[in-house]
Amino acid sequence: MFDEVFLPHMAEAYRLAHWLTGNAYDAEDVVQDAALRAFRGIKTFGAVNARAWSLTIVRNTAYSWMTKNRSKAVVFTDDLSVTEQQQIEQEGLQGTRVETPEEIALFKADAEEVQRALVKLPEQFREVVVLREINQLNYRDISEITNAPIGTVMSRLSRGRQLLIAILGDRR
Amino acid sequence: MSASRPDNAELQMNAYFDGELDAASARVFERRLANDAFLKAEYARFLSLRHAVRSIAPYDLPSDLLARIASTLDASSLGKAARPAGVASQVTPLHSPGRSRQRSWSFRALAAAALLGAVISSYVMVTINRYNLRQAIASQVVASHIRSLMAPQPFDVASSDSRTVKPWFTARVHEAPQVLDLAPQGFMLVGGRVDVVGHDAVATIVYKHAAHTISLTTLPPGQSVSDRAIAGYNVRSWDDAECTYMVVSDLPHAELVAFERAFTTESAALEYN
Repeated sequence: MFDEVFLPHMAEAYRLAHWLTGNAYDAEDVVQDAALRAFRGIKTFGAVNARAWSLTIVRNTAYSWMTKNRSKAVVFTDDLSVTEQQQIEQEGLQGTRVETPEEIALFKADAEEVQRALVKLPEQFREVVVLREINQLNYRDISEITNAPIGTVMSRLSRGRQLLIAILGDRR
Repeated sequence: MSASRPDNAELQMNAYFDGELDAASARVFERRLANDAFLKAEYARFLSLRHAVRSIAPYDLPSDLLARIASTLDASSLGKAARPAGVASQVTPLHSPGRSRQRSWSFRALAAAALLGAVISSYVMVTINRYNLRQAIASQVVASHIRSLMAPQPFDVASSDSRTVKPWFTARVHEAPQVLDLAPQGFMLVGGRVDVVGHDAVATIVYKHAAHTISLTTLPPGQSVSDRAIAGYNVRSWDDAECTYMVVSDLPHAELVAFERAFTTESAALEYN
């Protein structure tokens, strides 16, 4: 059962873990840990969507792993105060004001630059962008994996993309 | 538009970009996109962003990770009952080369098994899909038969003359079917109608046998299903080189077999003439 449900998604699981933790070593730990959780929890698998189920475990494992092993706790802006959240939303990262899209010309970014920009993105934006663009999941699956309503997934994706475009547009 | 909270147009654009809008909303949005230079520019940026993100080299699964996981699982299933918690503490320490070498045979086995599993399951999925598709088509054909019985007449053109029915179909469906007069065998041609199966118009010829209505639907080839009853109606289907014929009626199964025999005999006789 475990072999049919979790194993086929191992490569994707690793990719997601790598993006969430930011490096290969931590990703390996997370995937191992997630595999063990999946193995033990295989009876809770409801035979609906093996991919989403597996990635949910990986995602949750990654966050609990980071909370346990890193001094800096995982901060979701949803937990911030309204003012702090507005500040992040309006100013983007590191206080750079997000330019309105009219100000940014069509950009040409190479893979390395985009990778760096993506790593800089706050977790809750990064995970939806990664799940959508790299794992290429649909909104319903992303909503299931991140345990957020579809509306929230949509606005995070939208914000995440704008932030990325702003970061990449800022280079020059 | 300010860059703070995403407004509705912004969300719509994302949904459209991600293929999450239904067909009608997508068309509405496309019209809007065509007339709005601002949206168009942003859409172009989205495209370059997607292109750039997808050009990042994927992080590849380290080749020995599967093996390490397999050995962790082995160890864990041995002492499983004893240690329900403390997942992380049981994870094999990373970077222990001795262990991964030792288990590399199991990685190969596991990898081969995973690959084989993927191949088999995709084959099974394709087969199941095909089976489900045929099943769905049979249900639609039966639904059309039921609907026709609710109408004042089970046919759109009434005629017991195959020379009237055939040209009527020619104007309406892609392939006009064979319209055979089976009255001598006890199946009276009463007319024809057009049914919609999937999104295609197909020809259905209506016969009467005693007080019973028989619908004979001509489908593209390769759609036959095994004999079955759907919603209380018997279904029998068969193929020839050009079409699949599916017959639906409340007649007993044996009568449908007789109908098929009458139809194929008559059809063959016609070809030799």
